Amino acid sequence: MSVDEKFFAIRKGLLEFLLLKIISAEKVYVADILKQLSETEFSTQEGTLYPLLSKMRREGLVDYEWKESEAGPPRKYYELTAKGREQLRETLDYWSRISGTVKNLGQK
Amino acid sequence: MNKVTTINLGGISFQLEEAGYDALRAYLDDAAARLQGNPDRDEILSDIEQAIGEKFRGLLSGYKNVILTREVEAVLSQMGPIQDDAGAASGASTTASGGGSASSSGAAQPAGTAPAPKRLYRIPEGAMIAGVCNGLAAYFNIDPTIVRLAFVLLTLIWGAGILVYIIMAIVVPQALTPDEKAAATGVPPTAQDFIRRAKQGYYEAMKSFPDRQARREWRRRFKRDMRNWSANVQREATATAQDCRRNWEHYWGMGTWNPGLGLALPVVSLLHGALVIAWICTLISLLATGTVFGVVLPVGMPVWVAVLILLFVYGMMVWPLKAARRAFYYGARGAPGAPFALFCVMDAFIWVAVVGTLLWLAVHHFPQAHEAVRNIPTVAHDMADSIRDWWNHH
Repeated sequence: MSVDEKFFAIRKGLLEFLLLKIISAEKVYVADILKQLSETEFSTQEGTLYPLLSKMRREGLVDYEWKESEAGPPRKYYELTAKGREQLRETLDYWSRISGTVKNLGQK
Repeated sequence: MNKVTTINLGGISFQLEEAGYDALRAYLDDAAARLQGNPDRDEILSDIEQAIGEKFRGLLSGYKNVILTREVEAVLSQMGPIQDDAGAASGASTTASGGGSASSSGAAQPAGTAPAPKRLYRIPEGAMIAGVCNGLAAYFNIDPTIVRLAFVLLTLIWGAGILVYIIMAIVVPQALTPDEKAAATGVPPTAQDFIRRAKQGYYEAMKSFPDRQARREWRRRFKRDMRNWSANVQREATATAQDCRRNWEHYWGMGTWNPGLGLALPVVSLLHGALVIAWICTLISLLATGTVFGVVLPVGMPVWVAVLILLFVYGMMVWPLKAARRAFYYGARGAPGAPFALFCVMDAFIWVAVVGTLLWLAVHHFPQAHEAVRNIPTVAHDMADSIRDWWNHH
């Protein structure tokens, strides 16, 4: 089992966290999100993203609004809700603790 | 040169090569199946359609207005398969606070995977005749003895048990390979899931959730899973029924047999009706006077035994007629158009009307019939007593 396979589950779990982070910066639509992710280890596809975003919307973490685009029909632009921002803050906090632990454990 | 199909994606029309259309259709059907049970299914599907449309638009230009099959395939592989974890981890609060068994039970059943269906087979191991009862018992997960008793009772009361048995012995395939045996005896995964979930205790889980939000989420998910489960059971039942029908058609070649509905059906129905009336007359004679049209019963034979024998004889005589009428109905249902259905309804109506009227007339205008109806409780009592005696004796 390669490292890549081993961390498949971790990457999958972290995707939601990264979405919160991306959406927190500015209003984005799915193609923007995919583009930002495509250059990272978290590169993913619409087939994964749409169901995940709809789940996050059901949980009240994100919301969207329709915006006219210069070419073609209106698009859904996603933004964080107050609850989403709160969760992002908590997760960032948790993440920094985890990475601290990863760094410090086992060192003398 | 390829044929082109026009489709509508998110309100914009696209022209696709036919094979490309098929690929797109298959992708969207698969997506819909994977999102089965997701509350936002329709919205996600329309998002997906719109995203595909956007990609298609990027492929078109002034001179090129058809999306080629390989382009459709490229776009679909860019989209990737639908990955829906909503069933597994819906509601961060549930996952966080519910913990333990409740949230892992959701994860154990990925959304949209169809369970291997349980099938009805005849099981030769431990069979008495052809393994029909054995197979039925395995299918419904009950003791074969009960099924056998039910068949014996069916035969005694309507004479239909033997007919049903013979038909099933012909129609239902025998479980021969290990796979078929597994399908014949295994509890279907959906039912297993149902039992496990029920055992886990829906209310136990409810109690373990600290806040209302999580409880509501759990209840919603439970209900949805139950709905999916019943849909699965229905699907299995339909598949089994269709299988049996196919075998039946195959055996009798009925797919091509078109009976003379207009002529044969009323004749068969009248015969059936005449038999019913003869049977009722015999029954009345038996109940009222203890004789069958003047013929005295053998010494020592109680009336209820005679009634059972009469029921059996009647059942045996009438089942070919019943089967024929069913066959006509069946043939009619397979055929398109309303007149056939009308025949069936008419036939059934005439039948019920004739038998009902005669019964009513008999009870109200013949003292014998009246007497017979009055004697029914006594005879039934007799029978119950005899059975009790027999039971206590053995």
